[in-house]
Amino acid sequence: MSGVNLEGIVKAYGALQVVHGIDLTVAEKEFVVLVGPSGCGKSTTLRMIAGLEEITAGDLTIDGRRMNRIAPKDRDVAMVFQNYALYPHLNVADNMAFGLRIRRMPKAEIKTTIDDVAEILGLTPYLDRRPADLSGGQRQRVAMGRAIVRHPKVFLFDEPLSNLDAKLRTQMRAEIKRLHNRLGVTSVYVTHDQVEAMTLADRIVVMNDGRIEQIGTPMELFNDPANTFVAGFLGSPPMNQMKGTLTASGAKIGDAEIKIDGRVGDHAGRDVIVGIRPEHVTLSAEGPSSALPISLDLVEPLGSEALLHATHGDDSLVFKAATNGDIDHLSGVDAVHVPSHLVKLFDAETGHALNFGV
Amino acid sequence: MVDENTNTAGQPPEKAAIAVHEAARHHIDDGRLIRLFDHFKREWQIYVMLLPTIIWFLVFLYKPMYGLQIAFKDYSIFRGVANSPWVGIEHFHTLFANDQFIRAVKNTVTISFYNLLFGFPAPIILALMFNEILHATYKRTAQTIVYLPHFISSVIIAGIVITAFSPTAGIINTFIGWLGFEPVYFLTQPQWFRPIFVGTGIWQEAGFGSIVFLAAIAGVNPSLYESAVVDGANRWQMMWKITIPSILPTILIMLIIRIGNVMEVSFELVILLYQPATYETADVVNTWIYRQGLQSGQYDLAAAAGLFNAVVAFVLVMTANTLSRRFSRTSLW
Repeated sequence: MSGVNLEGIVKAYGALQVVHGIDLTVAEKEFVVLVGPSGCGKSTTLRMIAGLEEITAGDLTIDGRRMNRIAPKDRDVAMVFQNYALYPHLNVADNMAFGLRIRRMPKAEIKTTIDDVAEILGLTPYLDRRPADLSGGQRQRVAMGRAIVRHPKVFLFDEPLSNLDAKLRTQMRAEIKRLHNRLGVTSVYVTHDQVEAMTLADRIVVMNDGRIEQIGTPMELFNDPANTFVAGFLGSPPMNQMKGTLTASGAKIGDAEIKIDGRVGDHAGRDVIVGIRPEHVTLSAEGPSSALPISLDLVEPLGSEALLHATHGDDSLVFKAATNGDIDHLSGVDAVHVPSHLVKLFDAETGHALNFGV
Repeated sequence: MVDENTNTAGQPPEKAAIAVHEAARHHIDDGRLIRLFDHFKREWQIYVMLLPTIIWFLVFLYKPMYGLQIAFKDYSIFRGVANSPWVGIEHFHTLFANDQFIRAVKNTVTISFYNLLFGFPAPIILALMFNEILHATYKRTAQTIVYLPHFISSVIIAGIVITAFSPTAGIINTFIGWLGFEPVYFLTQPQWFRPIFVGTGIWQEAGFGSIVFLAAIAGVNPSLYESAVVDGANRWQMMWKITIPSILPTILIMLIIRIGNVMEVSFELVILLYQPATYETADVVNTWIYRQGLQSGQYDLAAAAGLFNAVVAFVLVMTANTLSRRFSRTSLW
């Protein structure tokens, strides 16, 4: 079992604690993505797994073996860095061979390994080139190649796509996913890009301020965010959040009242945050739903769909609507219809998700 | 009827093309001048700030070039530079027929070679060693100690060396005495001059020279080391496989500059440390020029020797730069 287990992991720099007791289990062959805003402790956590940062407290085990005091080289992990960390004076083949030479692998075996991996990554024609003569995407592939040739138990990715342009990022994202499906190596991937997290992960770990906010599959996190932070972090655009008060059958938001499934009447009068995903609304009533009056500010066409920037009272909202090849019909929108079963509720004070059952 | 080979202006096509090319070139030149003038108008403060440096170059480096012509004249201070008669390359014949000058050239090249061999790697090694020190206070203290000799005047440095190697009270001879040997008159024996001179130069300048390489090391991407750590490299391997190759362009640039200064052996220190007994190994071109030019009043011969020095240095730096550009993609220009 080459899984990774973090138990009560703490990282502190002197009196400043940046990671506050993380518990996480990454199963063998699983692809787990740590996602969160800058400074949330995700990279620090990854670096602690790699052995590049000392663990202040807690236990790290890889493959069932406690790794807290084990040198990085003996953890059998390979890491792909944000800026690729390619040796500028070495060509692609030598960059990929670096770790193997350090480990004194026989030359013939190194060559075979590198040829195989270069073939997988489409790097065979570039083996003699130096990093400066490669494009961003090719460099990224070399960085991955350098990790793959080691055949490690665990891959660690530290924002490997953030230096690429949007198009290349999409392409490389798919390549990483394909590669993981092919190699089946346990992977921990750090990113601040929720799209990367959603598309790549078997499970996502959302982190904030050195703590884990929620762990789950991408769809679990998308459909049932544990709190307002996760709700606001995942999804593009993120979930709309409005202050409201529960009523007998739903919630009052400003002057409007929307229906919500579940026994909300038992908690009538409670202050809540009402969460509505931009893509969950419709422009006409379809099934059990309620109209939410909006004042439209701007229509942003994206092609097949458009973003409607609007306000309701003091709340700024964004909704998605199908264009059907034309946005003229969207300019007169003055209300959106909110399906009652898709409305999310969060505690107004703690921000934790509320579930009142059906 | 118009000839097929002439254009409407009556010019053959080649001439017309040349005329068009010339006009375009003048147009470009005019454009550049206009742009330069516009830039000057917009950024005149920067040009004013540049002015002292330009004046310094003109006064101290370009104006003296006027005097270089005395290398080809029978110069007399009474007749002046302009009125002294031309003698062609007679002074150069004299120079190369002079055993002392040939000896000075040989000594200069030999000392420079030792300086290059031992003195050039010293600051690189120091910088690599400093880079390995993890304790911040210890590192700062060590750096301060090795930087200090650079700020001491050559006269004091020479005084320290003379005292240290003194046959009566010098620390070296005291130590030799403790071991039961006779004192050695280091500074009067030709065979000791070069090791002492090169060693003193290293002691004085290696620390300060290491700053450039430390700066280059600081510029190495830290994730290269982290990646190597994960790959299993130890500190020694990281130094050889990451640090040194990463600072190689800086090393080459410094080497080119150093090669350009091969003929410029530290004049002050030589003149302070040498004596007639050690001329055999210590007398370099600059000290020879000093003795001939200033002490014997043969300014024209000294100017010829100086010009020879400069030409050799120029050729060396050009060659080193070209080789470096060809083999390592790194060059000064």
